[in-house]
Amino acid sequence: MRNITASPASSAPAAAPAAIPVRDQLGLQMRASHVLMAVFVVAAVAFAAIGAAIGDTFFLRLATEALIFAGFALSVDILLGFTGLLSLGHALYFGFGAYVSALVLKETPSFWLAIGAVLASSLVAGFITGLVANRVRGVYFALVTFGLAQVVAKAVYNTRELGASDGLIGVPIVPINLGVGTLMSNAPAAFFLFTLGFVVVLYLIAAYLLETPFGRILVALRANESRVPFLGYSTRSARLAAYVLASVIAALSGALYPMLRGFVSPELLFFSTSGNAVITVVVGGVGTLAGAFYGSIILTVLKSVIGTMTEHHLIVIGLLFIGTVIFLPKGLMGVVRPWVMRLLGRRAS
Amino acid sequence: MTKIVLAGLLATTVFTAPALAADPIKIGVVTPLSGTYAPIGQQVRWGLELATKEVNAAGGIMGRQVQLLFEDEEANPAVAVQKADKLFEVQKVDFLTGTVNSGSTLAVGQTAERAGKLIATTVSFADSITTDKCSPNVFRVNARAGQQSAALAAWVVKQKPKAKVFLLGPDYEMGRSTVATFKKRVEGLGATPVGEVFAPLDSKDYTQYFGQLRQARPEVLYTSTAGNDTVRLLTQMQDFGLLSNLLVVGASGTVTSQNISAIGAAAEGFGTGVGYSTQIDNPANKKFVADFKAANKIDPDLYGADSYGLIYFYKAAVEKAQSTDTDKVRAAMRDLSWDTPQGKKTMRAGDHQAIQPMYVVQVSGGAFKVVDQVAGEDAIGPDECARF
Amino acid sequence: MTAFLDYFQFVLAPQMITGLSLGVAVVLVALGLTIIFGLLDVINMAHGEFYAVGAYLALSLGFAGVSFWLLLIIVPAVMLPLGYIVERGLIQRVFNKPDRHVTTLLLTFGLGLVVEDVLKVIFGGNTQRPPTPISGAIDIMGVLLPNYRLFLILFGLAVIAAVALVVNRTRLGAVVRAAAFDRNMAASLGVPVSQVYAGTFAFGVALAGLAGVLLAPVFSVFPTMGRDFIFLAFTVVIVGGMGSIMGTVVAGLLLTQVQALSSLIVSPVWSDPILFSIMVLMLVVRPQGLFGRLGHA
Repeated sequence: MRNITASPASSAPAAAPAAIPVRDQLGLQMRASHVLMAVFVVAAVAFAAIGAAIGDTFFLRLATEALIFAGFALSVDILLGFTGLLSLGHALYFGFGAYVSALVLKETPSFWLAIGAVLASSLVAGFITGLVANRVRGVYFALVTFGLAQVVAKAVYNTRELGASDGLIGVPIVPINLGVGTLMSNAPAAFFLFTLGFVVVLYLIAAYLLETPFGRILVALRANESRVPFLGYSTRSARLAAYVLASVIAALSGALYPMLRGFVSPELLFFSTSGNAVITVVVGGVGTLAGAFYGSIILTVLKSVIGTMTEHHLIVIGLLFIGTVIFLPKGLMGVVRPWVMRLLGRRAS
Repeated sequence: MTKIVLAGLLATTVFTAPALAADPIKIGVVTPLSGTYAPIGQQVRWGLELATKEVNAAGGIMGRQVQLLFEDEEANPAVAVQKADKLFEVQKVDFLTGTVNSGSTLAVGQTAERAGKLIATTVSFADSITTDKCSPNVFRVNARAGQQSAALAAWVVKQKPKAKVFLLGPDYEMGRSTVATFKKRVEGLGATPVGEVFAPLDSKDYTQYFGQLRQARPEVLYTSTAGNDTVRLLTQMQDFGLLSNLLVVGASGTVTSQNISAIGAAAEGFGTGVGYSTQIDNPANKKFVADFKAANKIDPDLYGADSYGLIYFYKAAVEKAQSTDTDKVRAAMRDLSWDTPQGKKTMRAGDHQAIQPMYVVQVSGGAFKVVDQVAGEDAIGPDECARF
Repeated sequence: MTAFLDYFQFVLAPQMITGLSLGVAVVLVALGLTIIFGLLDVINMAHGEFYAVGAYLALSLGFAGVSFWLLLIIVPAVMLPLGYIVERGLIQRVFNKPDRHVTTLLLTFGLGLVVEDVLKVIFGGNTQRPPTPISGAIDIMGVLLPNYRLFLILFGLAVIAAVALVVNRTRLGAVVRAAAFDRNMAASLGVPVSQVYAGTFAFGVALAGLAGVLLAPVFSVFPTMGRDFIFLAFTVVIVGGMGSIMGTVVAGLLLTQVQALSSLIVSPVWSDPILFSIMVLMLVVRPQGLFGRLGHA
């Protein structure tokens, strides 16, 4: 029988058909996010240049802090925006990373040792707690994560060796050896650029992983969890992997905090820190990854400005948050990104 | 020709400018203006503002007016450090104060060291700030926990010699250390501790400890709870009939003007050791209380009074040093004595802790009355700061 | 033997009784939460703040001279329209979106933040306390129990019984349960579903307010008091079963007894972790809680 699918072109050895790039919605969204991040990075570098030129320290440090919390918000976005899991206690990992980093740095002021310790310990911690937390979903997941953070925060608050309610001060200035040069953690512009690079790397890792088949399973989970096993994928291991990824990213962001401010305190584990991250992600744009960064800058600026004007800044932030949830549920980037996607789409076709 | 005239005019302004530029002395205040500690921050603010008004009306410090810049720290050390950084780097304040909880004071103190500036606290009473965690850039003008319990223990032993004492504290660092300090003091003076309980912060129901309390049959109860926890503890004790025949004493933050009206009759007879009381009988205090009440419609408490005294401390130091430069002011502050509404205070050079006469006050008819006094040197305790 | 009796009389029994009074209080707060979830599928993270609003209303009206007994009726009555407005004005706006659970959670979370700060603006940050309405204590076998606590237990149980009766035995309750079970079917049978939703939410909020009135003299009133009960209330609702009244009652009374008795054995600082472990255990072993949902059991 003749093979009816054979065509003259396919028998020619030389002209193989050109690879057709995967052009689905997720891929386009990710590329739009990359564009938005590139804009962000350019603006940040310009900001650093101006800051360094005028010899500023405060605004550069404030911006560095905003970047550190942006990295934290990024981890919350991975869970909320991609896996569909709202974690109300993610500050647990952020604080965990901060404390581990502070403890290591107080013994030996070595950046790589601290990062390595945080990476290893957060993998383990995230895995163990993930096993517990991932038995449940939805509001139960939110409450379990909330409860877990409360319990650990109280334990830290009462532990003398961890500084108890006063926290740990005396984290020294850290020299960061990058191979091509060394920068000190108290050099405002240099550390700002370093932190920028660090969280952008975290973003790229997250973005890369989320575009792989693993990432697509997560998106499928968010859309309709019960169907995924029927497609032959395990929900458990995907969710656990996402949870561990989010924990590690949160911890690594937290590890930078003591390098910037020289101390850690139990408030880093409290619900207010988790809550702020959620607000950042929602305002910035759930599921866009880049939204975490823009959201963090917006929130930091708002808090700083409104905080100086009135002590009732919680009302303003709360109202803004409610307004965003009702009227702008996709967040700021959620509105901007489709424009970028259209631009990219038009150029491709 | 015009060019020469213009240049000449320009030159004269260069010479006259310094004489006209009496720029203000800026003092940064990082204090909780929102959240649970907001009432304390409010008292701090009022005390500082009253003193600043008086000093400015009298010509300022070395001819320069004092300007206060406020920022809200939300009782969160992370926020406090950020705001302190802003005040130091952007507004370029000469001096900073206002932190309330010890975590914030310690963290901001470290920030001040890195910025090369001085700070003072008027509220934090954790011993560690001027003992094991002391800093060359941190000064404390209020009494610390050790001074408070020294005064209180002496008075308790006078009221009920060889008494059985039950201790109840909130289960965190400050609660445990205040209980431990008081226990040690009162034991050394002949009393017998008969029980110790630590309740979690924000406990709703203290009735679960009443069994233990009743079994121990103490004559004195010492508690270092604060705010709402005290309200709940004392009112619940009253409901259960446990307050009769019991002398209740506590830390300075246990019963204050913020919660005394909520505690109501259950606060009757409560005693504590403090660095300040509106009842202190001297002309300076009477004037201070009257001025404070006129400006704010509420009596000052120890936070307001200590904050008021801080401005005068700083003024005396700057005038002695004839400069606002950090090292000169620091040197001037050491061993400096200055007058406050609560008497004369001396800043001990060894640990940057103010020595002052301590008072024992007791609630009577809904208000605090002074019942005893201890001299500064007797209450102060040893210098345990090893860093400088 | 006498040692055990002594222990029972002076330590165990009082502990259990005060655990009971706390349990009744928690159940009152959690009842509203479970009803709201059972019917609307909405997690009300601002529930604690409504409890605080009730307490503050009681405080200010009480200082204005209104008697405590009147307050028990007036405060819930005032909170009914408040709950109605919140449901119609805020919750309905996000109700029909696909990820409703997350959005309503976020929305009520934001609402809680705003309400807490508004309370602080209006009433100031200091702790206040209305006077105890019933003074004195009775002596039960050598143990003193304040009369007001006894009243709390009895009145609380009465309210719970009334709520259970209304939901399970009246026509109104049947309408509510029908709307919970199958919204569209109920609508096609003529039930004004959106009114039922708003009304039920309002009812849950009013219950929280009533709890606030009852507990203000015992636990005092301050702006962050909403956070006092919220974790415990959610734990009770989860262990009992979201949407089940019977579950909330059983879990509420049981968990507070566990809390009271465990503090006799281990340091009280462990009671939170113990309760949390029970919640996690329940979620792992039997996620629907002890008794399942409002419309379905």
